[in-house]
Amino acid sequence: MSKFEISNGKKIVKPFNKIWIVLGVVIVLIIIFWQFITYNTAMFNLGELSVIFKQLFTPKNTILEQRTWSDYFEFMWELREPLWITIQMSLGGTIIGSILAVPVAIFASRNIFKNKYINAPFRFLMNIIRTIPLMLLVIIGVAMVGTGVLSGIIGYTVFSFGIMAKMFYEVIETADMSPFEALESTGANRLQAFSYAIVPQVFISFVSFLFYIFELNIRASAILGFVGINGIGEAISVNNLYNYDRVGATVIVLFVFILILQLINSHIRGKLE
Amino acid sequence: MIKFVDVKKTYLNGVQALKGVNLEINDGEFVAIIGLSGAGKSTLLRLINKMIDITSGQLYIDDIEISSIKGKDLRMLRRSIGMIFQSFNLVKKMSVFNNVLSGRVAYHSTYKTILGLFPKNEKILALESLDAMGILDKAFIRADQLSGGQQQRVALARALTQEPKVILADEPVASLDPITTVQVMDDFLKINKEFGITIIANMHHVDLALKYATRIIGIKDGLVVYDGPASKINDDKLVEIYGRSLKHDEILGDPDVEV
Repeated sequence: MSKFEISNGKKIVKPFNKIWIVLGVVIVLIIIFWQFITYNTAMFNLGELSVIFKQLFTPKNTILEQRTWSDYFEFMWELREPLWITIQMSLGGTIIGSILAVPVAIFASRNIFKNKYINAPFRFLMNIIRTIPLMLLVIIGVAMVGTGVLSGIIGYTVFSFGIMAKMFYEVIETADMSPFEALESTGANRLQAFSYAIVPQVFISFVSFLFYIFELNIRASAILGFVGINGIGEAISVNNLYNYDRVGATVIVLFVFILILQLINSHIRGKLE
Repeated sequence: MIKFVDVKKTYLNGVQALKGVNLEINDGEFVAIIGLSGAGKSTLLRLINKMIDITSGQLYIDDIEISSIKGKDLRMLRRSIGMIFQSFNLVKKMSVFNNVLSGRVAYHSTYKTILGLFPKNEKILALESLDAMGILDKAFIRADQLSGGQQQRVALARALTQEPKVILADEPVASLDPITTVQVMDDFLKINKEFGITIIANMHHVDLALKYATRIIGIKDGLVVYDGPASKINDDKLVEIYGRSLKHDEILGDPDVEV
């Protein structure tokens, strides 16, 4: 709190800014949790790190197996088939999940449906779904239809739905409602007003979210081999014990592919804006 | 014809915006509603197209009592009434043409409008409306590229494309500069004279209201305190409406002199 007095003698008090309370709580929490973390400098073994990096990113070279760089790159080239399977699963899940998310996001938006008894069940649905980890969703998919592309698509669909519904309804809620009011005043129904007043405002974000979720799904595919899903994750799960070089090659392929995706996303976004 | 019979409006928070209004507005009139902020001008306007519902009394439009209508009938009512807003209420990221065409959506089924299937004659109508407002050359650029005055003309073109019998204007020039203000008011006059559309406008600037409107309705504390031709209004009447003499900002002045 601080008081100001201006030249004519009038006084005004600046109210206390609540951000200081928040900051104080955060600092206290950091100090408390610092006490629980046990560490000593010997735990930071940079030497071990360099060994692992060498195992990952150079061809395997042991007494039993000697591989060359050409083997390393050949393996990368062989990854195109599992990568294609991963793309199919991720893209299918992203598109189906995102389309299913659209109506749910609309019903969850307080500015479109002003009745909180309409919003609440849809918000509850999306919150519940978002609490389930992708790994578990895929296991459920495997239980339903067995291992294969379809179980991956099921897992990715539910996962994508949860993220898209949440992000899309937040964008809808921040849209400028004045054209919506104008459209309603012309006699348009709610759906017409939404498609003419809100959709043009949120379309670019929707496309951008599609790319982001696709990217998340591709990234998550790295660990899905462990639950028996085909695709690029399989190359990691079958090699993770002895063939670190193959794991490293897979990581590089994934890294490059995600980088390309991000470039395409920012390019398209720039074009649409 | 629009007829208010003892219309009252009390908001949920207890504010009595209108305390019993009786009015008759005939087809083809140019009516300006004046009064202090909070006097109930906006409420009065929005009751006509049911953007706000009345609390008690009757409101007739062409002899149909509208306080109980809803659903399709309500949308049909709104279709015949255009509305102009202080902040234009355009979709800024959409082209001027699509903004204007959106005035037609209430004439079609939902699925047709979502797919953007408008008949050719309506697209022509949208372009003709833009031409009538003098901004045909701006049809295919984004609305946010236009100046404030041009955006309000797009909004007017949207209302014209709707082919309404009445246009309600809520402070249509309050966010425009004096020169643009006169241009937009001239457009209102043109719509009133050439298209025969009734104009009911809330006006902040009293001199503008007197210059353009044929009839003035003065509102004070939710009641009509003046209702008559613009020519018969005088300083005493204005003091009655405003409860004081006019402030500088309630008079636009003569923009031709100011420049």
